[in-house]
Amino acid sequence: MTQAATVDTTLRALLADVLGLGEARAAALTDDSGLFGALPEFDSMAVATVLTEMEDRLGILIDDDEIDGEIFETYGNLLAFSLRKVTD
Amino acid sequence: MPLPTPEHILRIAPDDAPRATVLFVPPLFEEANRTRRTLVLAMRALARHGLAAVLPDLPGQNESLVPLDQTDLHRWQEALAEVSATLDGPVIIASLRGGALIDHLASAAAWWRLAPIGGASLLRTLMRARVAADREAGLTSSLDSLQAEAATAPLLLAGNLLSPAMMGQLGSAAVEPVAPLRTVTLGSGANAIAGTPLWLRAEPGEDGAMAEAIAADIAAWSQTCGIS
Repeated sequence: MTQAATVDTTLRALLADVLGLGEARAAALTDDSGLFGALPEFDSMAVATVLTEMEDRLGILIDDDEIDGEIFETYGNLLAFSLRKVTD
Repeated sequence: MPLPTPEHILRIAPDDAPRATVLFVPPLFEEANRTRRTLVLAMRALARHGLAAVLPDLPGQNESLVPLDQTDLHRWQEALAEVSATLDGPVIIASLRGGALIDHLASAAAWWRLAPIGGASLLRTLMRARVAADREAGLTSSLDSLQAEAATAPLLLAGNLLSPAMMGQLGSAAVEPVAPLRTVTLGSGANAIAGTPLWLRAEPGEDGAMAEAIAADIAAWSQTCGIS
């Protein structure tokens, strides 16, 4: 698996765990799928949990000031941010 | 001064005299609510293995009358030691997640930990939830500004009013060595339990198969330790 594919798989599994999406819904997420504000489960606590799990599972460190609302707008944005972090 | 009201302890026991008692130490804060249902299912399953199980309320949590901002990790460690001392027969302490940060002052015949986590990571998640909620409300806060605020006054994090002592202790809390200890993670393999990380989940769920696996693993560990 390419690194991009690995990050994508890890991120989907993580969202499934935190949001209780189930495998089918997690697999069906597209770049345009809305997250924060679109999924009722995605509240501020879920945002925090996702960030900490991203650090753990992707082996990255996320700085406070790197986080803005846009990252969590869509799955595509979150994936792009994650890919940028792992290749940094 | 009036004596403090004793905390509730949920106890589930087999019909016959139990071989031992499993003292469950739940995850901390919201993670406890997310896992409670499955933990209690595991307690019922343990009864079928001939083991009693207790799940105490920590001071300041659940039905406790103690205000959360008047408690801290050290008080929780002492509370668990007191509960353990009242139990008849051998005690096996089973901790989940942040529960593993407060399980070492109590005396026990064996320890079992599932997916233990450091206090700093728990605290970071709680503080991030506050920052995210603040951002939604149009306020600006940061981990640094919250940390500074918390040095002198209780800080409200994701619904939990935490004292400066609690914040300080959480920030540096690590799992302490105990023996004999079995540590398991979620996943597959010899030192893992198959299941879902319910403690992460935004909405509560349950995992009956995981509860059975937890009970079976603790029962097997108790026998390995010669508790019968």
